[in-house]
Amino acid sequence: MKILVFVKQVADTEARITITNNGRSLEVENKYALNFFDEFAIEEALRIKERLKDVEVVVCSYGPKRSIEALRTAIAMGADRAVLIDSKDLDTDDPLITAKILSGFAKGDGFDMILCGKQAIDDENATIGPMVAEMLHIPHVGLVTKIETPEGGEVRVDRDIEGGRQTVKVKLPCLLIVQKGINEPRVPLITGVMKAMKANIPVLDPATYGIDVNSCTKEEAKVKVVRYESPGGRPPVKFIEGATAEEKAKRLIKVLKEEARVL
Amino acid sequence: MAKDIFVFIEGKDEGVRKSSIELLSKAKGITKNHNSTTYGILIGPKSEEMVDTVRPYPDKLIVVRGDGLDEYRWDTYTPILERLIKTYRPFLFLGPSTITGKDLFPRLAARLGAAYISDATGIEFEGEEALVKKAMFGGKIISWMGINEKDCALVTFRPNSFSIDRPSGMAEVIEEMGDGKSEEAITVLETKKTMEKKVDLQEADFIICGGRGMKGPEQFGIIEEIASLMEGRVGASRAVVDAKWRDYEDQIGKSGKTVSPKLYIGCGVSGALHHTMGMDTSKVIVAINKDPNAPIFQYADYGIVDDLFDVLPALKEELKKLKEQAG
Ligand SMILES: Cc1cc2nc3c(=O)[nH]c(=O)nc-3n(C[C@H](O)[C@H](O)[C@H](O)COP(=O)(O)OP(=O)(O)OC[C@H]3O[C@@H](n4cnc5c(N)ncnc54)[C@H](O)[C@@H]3O)c2cc1C
Repeated sequence: MKILVFVKQVADTEARITITNNGRSLEVENKYALNFFDEFAIEEALRIKERLKDVEVVVCSYGPKRSIEALRTAIAMGADRAVLIDSKDLDTDDPLITAKILSGFAKGDGFDMILCGKQAIDDENATIGPMVAEMLHIPHVGLVTKIETPEGGEVRVDRDIEGGRQTVKVKLPCLLIVQKGINEPRVPLITGVMKAMKANIPVLDPATYGIDVNSCTKEEAKVKVVRYESPGGRPPVKFIEGATAEEKAKRLIKVLKEEARVL
Repeated sequence: MAKDIFVFIEGKDEGVRKSSIELLSKAKGITKNHNSTTYGILIGPKSEEMVDTVRPYPDKLIVVRGDGLDEYRWDTYTPILERLIKTYRPFLFLGPSTITGKDLFPRLAARLGAAYISDATGIEFEGEEALVKKAMFGGKIISWMGINEKDCALVTFRPNSFSIDRPSGMAEVIEEMGDGKSEEAITVLETKKTMEKKVDLQEADFIICGGRGMKGPEQFGIIEEIASLMEGRVGASRAVVDAKWRDYEDQIGKSGKTVSPKLYIGCGVSGALHHTMGMDTSKVIVAINKDPNAPIFQYADYGIVDDLFDVLPALKEELKKLKEQAG
């Protein structure tokens, strides 16, 4: 069995992000990490491998060269191999293009199951899973919180639905979108880190596996950022004064009613 | 192309999700300016009440009926929506950024090969061009996205992005038939509804959030009481969820939910970046913390520096009085 995991390298939560070029571009401090939700996807693939033994875990990312570091983290955790699809200057705001490139890779490389995290914490799109599944004509299941060992060409999973939880059975091949709570991602051991440092991670050009790159250019993007803004910061906090807690509570209600008008 | 807008109407329990009504209000404001039509799209309504609740808001309401359509599934809803979009050719299809919206819209966008923007918080027009507002990097950056699409573009919006206008009519209802037969690839084995009837955290207008300063699970009683008094919801910081004082579904922040209620009250929450990422688009933020230097005060509109165990009972009494006055 072959499990493909799609991951993204993203700016760390702590990274400083500055708007430059009159709102037309962003400068991200050089602090990147493997996307938080993707760690759960890698971990889950590894756990299936540990149970089923005869499983290959392949991790793939579409992104700039620096993303290789995120792929090394995946190898250090225990993935069998990793592949980077170089986005070069094609880097896009349009998730359809990313999905097209990833699904093209999946088609060429082959898979029984695809895992990905529920959303990237940089663009916060949460779009790639269902898009890739649609392009590959396979079923997807979102917000998965438990994956049982695949058996007889099927897998049972639990997932969150609106106001509840559901257990479903899905035929393979399928795409599962995992979220926090499904597992505790392992911290790579030193031997894993050593292996990752030496690992050969091929860098692919999408054109080499049959993607029509002309349809993936910035001009072809159907959505693009026109400008960036900083969020309008709030005015400084107004502390509600009073001799006692009761008095403060009373005054708070008054300002919420009369000044903020939210009550 | 006529600038008609489709709005996906999402059900909740036996009723209609508030964010769908918000979107209808917003869409109608846009189509009024373009002399075009706002369509509500309601698939497999569970009750006729649902139809009646929605009808005052759009210009027209398309109701799709068919066996098996009462529960959302992407494999049944996607082909129906694909057909409707190709028939009516709206220029925008709006939906709520809920579990359902996030599952359905990207799948549909890929099927149509259509432009898609997810989790937006606003939309404005510069001439003919729609610009969609979206928070990135946990709210550290706002981006305005342009749409380069001749056909229908899809956008999902966070609940509470728009206010609801007073309805002004009664939409004509267009009945359509749909096929509710699902693909065999996915079989539902069991469904457990855990929080029926309660307003969703992401849709709540009022959230009172407890942090580690609450000291223990038994202390959340008063927060529960305030939340139910205000018809809102209880939220929690990760510290509280990790300590198992509250369930994960209450967690607000980077690894929990993103909320933007009208009023957020944080009690004993320090205001770590991972937490504020999930709530800093709230309209009004109140923080109660005994430490005047707690970072949450950098995000709050109003602050009370005091012991929360003294403040909360008084706050509850004041809110009760307010509710009684309002009758
Ligand atoms: C990858 C990652 C993801 C994370 N995701 C999230 C997330 O989604 N959501 C989240 O919330 N956190 C998240 N965190 C954790 C976050 O960084 C903080 O640790 C957490 O938010 C702290 O919770 P807290 O404010 O409840 O507790 P604390 O930081 O311990 O704060 C408690 C506060 O209560 C006050 N207090 C104590 N007693 C009283 C009293 N009697 N009266 C008044 N005030 C009192 C204290 O002054 C203090 O400010 C994440 C962290 C990481 C590393």
